[in-house]
Amino acid sequence: MFLTRSEYDRGVNTFSPEGRLFQVEYAMEAIKLGSTTVGITTPEGVILAVEKRVPSPLLESSSIEKIMEIDSHIGTAMSGLTADARTMVEHARVTSQMHNFTYDEKIGVESCTQAVCDLALRFGESVEDDDALMSRPFGVALLIAGIDEKGPQLYHTDPSGTFVRYDAKAIGSGSDAAQQSLQDAFHKQMTLMEAHSLALKVLKQVMEEKLDENNVQLAQVTKSKGFEILGENELKAVIETLAA
Amino acid sequence: MNSVLSQLQPAAPHQSRLEEDDEFERTDAASWGSMAGFGNLSRTGGVQGMSVPRVSDPTSFLDMHTDNMSSNPEAKIKIAHGTTTLAFKFQGGVIVAVDSRATAGSYVASGTVKKVIEINKFLLGTMAGGAADCQYWETYLGMQCRLYELRNKERISVAAASKILSNIVYQYKGMGLSMGTMVCGWDKTGPCIFYVDDDGQRLKGDLFSVGSGSTFAYGVLDQGYRWDLTDEEAQELGRRSIIAAGHRDAYSGNTCNLYHVKQDGWDFIGNYDVNELWYEYEGKKKAERESQTAAAAAATSPMAVEP
Repeated sequence: MFLTRSEYDRGVNTFSPEGRLFQVEYAMEAIKLGSTTVGITTPEGVILAVEKRVPSPLLESSSIEKIMEIDSHIGTAMSGLTADARTMVEHARVTSQMHNFTYDEKIGVESCTQAVCDLALRFGESVEDDDALMSRPFGVALLIAGIDEKGPQLYHTDPSGTFVRYDAKAIGSGSDAAQQSLQDAFHKQMTLMEAHSLALKVLKQVMEEKLDENNVQLAQVTKSKGFEILGENELKAVIETLAA
Repeated sequence: MNSVLSQLQPAAPHQSRLEEDDEFERTDAASWGSMAGFGNLSRTGGVQGMSVPRVSDPTSFLDMHTDNMSSNPEAKIKIAHGTTTLAFKFQGGVIVAVDSRATAGSYVASGTVKKVIEINKFLLGTMAGGAADCQYWETYLGMQCRLYELRNKERISVAAASKILSNIVYQYKGMGLSMGTMVCGWDKTGPCIFYVDDDGQRLKGDLFSVGSGSTFAYGVLDQGYRWDLTDEEAQELGRRSIIAAGHRDAYSGNTCNLYHVKQDGWDFIGNYDVNELWYEYEGKKKAERESQTAAAAAATSPMAVEP
């Protein structure tokens, strides 16, 4: 498919005769180059785990930001072109705050995801009076984790603007193997702690370097405390349970 | 490319739609959220295209028909507001005290208004002038402060928060906004108060009082104010000032709401009935006077003299 370049793979809004949008499909390929990201839903809350690729020992690993807060009850983890994700996260944050301002209630996790996906579709050659400003699809996939009155939820969004809800999902370079391990180990009655160690176990399998507190990041969304990124000590504690 | 350029420019969040087109398309609530897509990002704020009066020059229109620009005191629409609000800094933080009366001319519309707006855990805003203007823009300010926090991973300073508010009201200058507010809080620099009003004026200070009853409040406040007041003394001074203003100013009164901002956020201290407290203070003063005269009388009375 990719070797046979056709004239249909340049225009972002042009379908090929087989009914495909090549640029969108290529954008999905960009995600497969990204670092592996895992999300798991449990009855207590949702957890997110990402691999941070640290290419140089001189790099300050804490400056790599792949898990971000959208609102106090929603967080997101990304894989692919993380710069694109910043635009999406900004949009999600503004939408969440605007929802709160307009309706005096927290935004639903699905509504928030929907807002992000609406944005994902706004690419193409902008016509006059049209404020589409991205010339290409976003090259990033997000795992959006949150809790609302419907309970803990995990959504996956991709560059086509599609979103799907998952119990557990892996994206990024190691996603195929990771998704398989998740499928084998996941069960509905997991505790938060079990989910944390499962996520790290899965990451460990697909990571090239040895997993430590500098090259992974963990976050969780719980009913009581909302979204939080785990601190170094908490992260170390989970890694220790892994070794045992 | 134009659209990208306009993204980068700090465009007024609430432009008059007059300049844009004549169709007066309303942007409904839905367009504030996901439907608006990128549109949200282009503005420094989120509220798009808030309507202004449909006249060619809103400022001169309001000037002609309302009295608050003072150029036409005979105007039919009289914008009158009564309130007493005060805030002051001292050694133990910030005291914020307000009354709770809402008036429409000489009519008391409500006696249970919340004139302290809780912007977030560390910021309070006071309400004087148009209740809706203050409530709306200070809630909006709360949203902007939260976005600041998410973007910068750091709490906003009182100076920055008050600047957001003053920039907004300045863009609407002359268009009929009515607010006199104090943005109070505790940030990296310690306790902090900024006064922001509808002219766009923004002042930093230790002690402010705003509203028709402010002169009465200042009277009590100035005679009792010291930097090294204890927490209890400061709370009592704030309360006492509102009670005095609530009693003397016909457009203020009913109850007093008292807040104390400390390092770890604000505390609501209590709600006090103005009349009850005023007469309690008066009663105490009377009892004191009587005991003094009694003591004086006892000292000079021949009965007290040993035979």
